[in-house]
Amino acid sequence: MTNHAGRLYALAIALAVFFLAWAVVAARPWATTAVDPRQKTLAIRAAQLRREAKLVNQIVAQRAQLARVTHNRQLASAAAAPAPVKIVTLPPLTITRTS
Amino acid sequence: MIDRRTFHAMGTEIELLVDADGADRSLNAAELEFHRLEALLSRFRDDSELSRLNRDGWIEPGPDLVRVVGLALEARERTSGRFDPTVHDALVAAGYDRSFEQLPAEGETTPPPPSAGGVWLRAGRIDLDPGVHLDLGGIGKGYAAERAAELLALAGPCLVNAGGDIAIRGGSWPVGVEHITLQLDSGGLATSGRDRRRWQRGGRELHHLIDPATGEPSETDLLRVTVVAGDAVDAEVAAKSLFLAGSKRAAAEANAAGMPAVLVTEDGRTLLAGGLA
Repeated sequence: MTNHAGRLYALAIALAVFFLAWAVVAARPWATTAVDPRQKTLAIRAAQLRREAKLVNQIVAQRAQLARVTHNRQLASAAAAPAPVKIVTLPPLTITRTS
Repeated sequence: MIDRRTFHAMGTEIELLVDADGADRSLNAAELEFHRLEALLSRFRDDSELSRLNRDGWIEPGPDLVRVVGLALEARERTSGRFDPTVHDALVAAGYDRSFEQLPAEGETTPPPPSAGGVWLRAGRIDLDPGVHLDLGGIGKGYAAERAAELLALAGPCLVNAGGDIAIRGGSWPVGVEHITLQLDSGGLATSGRDRRRWQRGGRELHHLIDPATGEPSETDLLRVTVVAGDAVDAEVAAKSLFLAGSKRAAAEANAAGMPAVLVTEDGRTLLAGGLA
């Protein structure tokens, strides 16, 4: 009886050890985590695009600022230098009046 | 040979003059431009971009409304608030609440609301502070005259007269101002005054030139002001600003800026300033 029970325990332990060992081997803990090369390329490309976008935004902001300054200067000079005008004795082609 | 076309738009008579033969296509394009801009900028059309902005307090507008609002805000700054697009509610309170042709001869007024509220122009969006509404009547006409002149100039030297706001591209154009004739080769000219667009409310005569400082039709000794400037928009802004200044100050300011101006006082005197003589 004792021998029989002992054999059963031994078999159960052996089975448990076997499956545990199987699971450990199946998990391949010695293998390094392999990264998909396409994912790696995409990550590099995304980082590059982020850098380029930042640069483009800076350039656009600089150009917009330049355009604003130029526009304001043009407005100021247009206001400061009115169109040439003189009084003549010709009959008018059109008239201005309160609109 | 000068080709001429007249039509009605933006509540006034528009006159197109072009020194070219066979300019029909350009004349058509210029006329359409007025109608297109009126559909965007009129405060009397419920579906215009300006009406939507006034109704909702914000809009993601097209480029024209952005430009006109931008020009109006710059003008407000440049004239220290004498020109102000936020006088909309003051105009309505004074009774100018519909197209001038439909305005009843008599009616009621309400107390004038304050002007000079916040208008925020950011990339692709315009926001108004609560209770702020815009009127772009005068500056819109000047802007439309300039845009139409750009199109008409493709045919030849031209002049666009939008009810007194004149834009010129090339050529030499004699323009009648009061009893004199001014010859212009470029730039713009505009007249602002209280001798037209007048109405009665409560036995009092009112007009459309609101003083943003009081919110009421301005009371100066001037009847009309005509200004020559770099373009029709600047001329329109300067004419309104000088009108609100009164004759003495207006003449001094026009002389200081070298801005040709013709001032007509309410007692009938005509003053030339800004280098005109």
